Amino acid sequence: MNSVTAAPTLAAAARVADAGDRADPQRVLADRVEQLYSQMPVGIVLTLVIGGIATYELWDTRTRDLVLFWWGLLLLVTAARAVLYLAYRRSANKLPEAAQWLRWLAISALANGVNWGFAGAVFFPSHTDEQQVFLAFLLTGIASAGIPAYAASWPMFALYSGAIVLPFTYVLANFGNRLFAEIALLVPLFYLANVAIAYRLNHVFYSGYRLRHAYGRLTEDYTALNRRLEQQLVELEEARRQVEASGRKLALFAERAPIAVIELDADGLIQRINQSAENLFGWTSQELTERKASAKVLVRPEYHAEFDERWRQMIASRAPVAHIKIRNPRRDGLEVVCAWTITPLVNAEGNVIAVIAQGQDITRQMEAEKLKKEFTSTLSHELRTPLTSIIGSLQLINAGVLGEVDKEVAELTGVAERNGQRLLDLINDILDIEKIESGKVTLEPEVLSLDEVVSESLVLNRGFAERFQVRLEPRGALLPIKVNVDRKRLLQVMTNLLSNAAKFSPQGEAVEVTMEDLGARVRVGVHDHGPGIPENFRARIFGRFAQADSSVTRQKGGTGLGLAICKRLIELMHGRIGFADRELGGTVFYFDLPKHQTP
Amino acid sequence: MPAQPLNRICYVEDDEDIQKIVRMSLERIGKMTVEVIGDPLVAIEAIKSFKPELVMLDWMMPGMDGPTLYRRMKEVPEVRDVPVVFITAKASQRELDELRALGAAGTISKPFSPKDLPGQLRAIWQTLP
Repeated sequence: MNSVTAAPTLAAAARVADAGDRADPQRVLADRVEQLYSQMPVGIVLTLVIGGIATYELWDTRTRDLVLFWWGLLLLVTAARAVLYLAYRRSANKLPEAAQWLRWLAISALANGVNWGFAGAVFFPSHTDEQQVFLAFLLTGIASAGIPAYAASWPMFALYSGAIVLPFTYVLANFGNRLFAEIALLVPLFYLANVAIAYRLNHVFYSGYRLRHAYGRLTEDYTALNRRLEQQLVELEEARRQVEASGRKLALFAERAPIAVIELDADGLIQRINQSAENLFGWTSQELTERKASAKVLVRPEYHAEFDERWRQMIASRAPVAHIKIRNPRRDGLEVVCAWTITPLVNAEGNVIAVIAQGQDITRQMEAEKLKKEFTSTLSHELRTPLTSIIGSLQLINAGVLGEVDKEVAELTGVAERNGQRLLDLINDILDIEKIESGKVTLEPEVLSLDEVVSESLVLNRGFAERFQVRLEPRGALLPIKVNVDRKRLLQVMTNLLSNAAKFSPQGEAVEVTMEDLGARVRVGVHDHGPGIPENFRARIFGRFAQADSSVTRQKGGTGLGLAICKRLIELMHGRIGFADRELGGTVFYFDLPKHQTP
Repeated sequence: MPAQPLNRICYVEDDEDIQKIVRMSLERIGKMTVEVIGDPLVAIEAIKSFKPELVMLDWMMPGMDGPTLYRRMKEVPEVRDVPVVFITAKASQRELDELRALGAAGTISKPFSPKDLPGQLRAIWQTLP
């Protein structure tokens, strides 16, 4: 898909445009050389025939030796030309060595011309008028015949023809005959005229070959371009197929999704809805599109103005809206509550081309949440009220308000009171953690000196610790560091940590409380001499209902929610809680709180 | 600090069991004289005739809740100045602060311990002018 771009096509077009200037000069030269050599066989045959006739005609003269010599020379030059021709034909390097072949041909043309020029110069003066006419005619013909033979290279024609006529002209001029002298003036003119013709022809040839090569290049480029276009068409088709396939996949996702999916345009008109949306709202996709229904068909009329405003904002900002809860009327008049994620689709130009709304029916979830709230409220009041009566009654009996009771009865009422209290603690802790987790706890932070809160917690929990015959003691100085915390909630945390430490300490030991300045934070530690935290319990110690050993609950009380509550409360106060093993046995639970920054 | 120790108390509470426990706690442990009122709608009349030194109001009651009753009391000259303590299981700190600002003498949170209740009330009594 990555090659589907316009750039190569443009480059190819540009190459086609300047192809005329890019005909390879070497190729043009080679073509001219080829043209010149192709004329050689005819030239060789004609030379032999005309040379034979000339020899026969000149044979009866006194200069028979000279004629033989000339004939021999002609045969020699012609044989050399034939050899040259054959060598050229067999050459494998016609193209790169074109210039060399041209030079060889020029030499052969000069030799050929000189041979004829020799005939004119030597035989003309010494013969009869008829023979002189014959010779003049012969030389003129032979020189003229060079035009087509050497048309592809005018200098070659100039050499060849010059070699024939210039010695002859010299002979004519010096013959002493006025007519011949006049002819001697004309011959160079004819020669120049012929060279001019050859020159013109040469140019025609040259242009012809250039055009041929330019055209060849053009054809090549065109073919390459065509191939590339075809390739791109194939790639485009493949890309189209992939896009279509992913489009189908996406459509399938939307169509089969268990949530309602609605496609809208930027004006909020419904384009289509999926099966889930049809089932949820009671409209078919077709009905809605035929009616050009707006999304407002799914919004209660009293919220239409607000909807319009929010829609306008979303389209203007192009920002998706997530998790917005809307009460949607259905076609049958009932209502469902959906959590919507609405996403404007923006194209490369920044225009909103569609809006996708995905809605999850959370009606049941909302009902469940409401039920949970009601349950929590019931737990809070309806359960605590009878427990208050139960525990209160038992406390009065156990306090001896009604006089001394039988020892065994007192034992049982003691059991009942303790367990009633445990049940109450559990309910309170559950309510507490529910409140914290649902975000309903609002802390009431105030700037306090942390050492005072710690001291207060030690006083408050001393009585509880004494039950386990454990002392609560500060170790080292308690530092008067200011923190911004909720006093009651921090006391709740301290109470939890101190009572845990007391419960798990051996009788007669001390639970020590330390304070440590950590720079931006301050750490409070509660150190016990207990058995330590079992390895398999460490990971979930701050979880709900976490107790290392459920038999402990029966022995020492506690709900297993204390540390979970502590962790959440400390985090609400922007601190963190943790624990570590003490070197000499036991555990230290600590929390770090940020120091109050005086502005 | 009031001159005499706390003795006469009115308690407005609809739950009969809690009524009994509070009565027993205050009478037996606190050695106080207690008038329990079960119906908040007749509470003001009952307070007028009993003339308590302190009134305890339950927060949640059918018919009229504690805070409403408290505001009604403020409109009746004979009972307007009687100190009021709320017994509540639900009030948030903010609501309690609001009631304090209105002039409530104090709050005791539910569930309370009947053993400690007389002591708690006396502690509040000590803070009054």
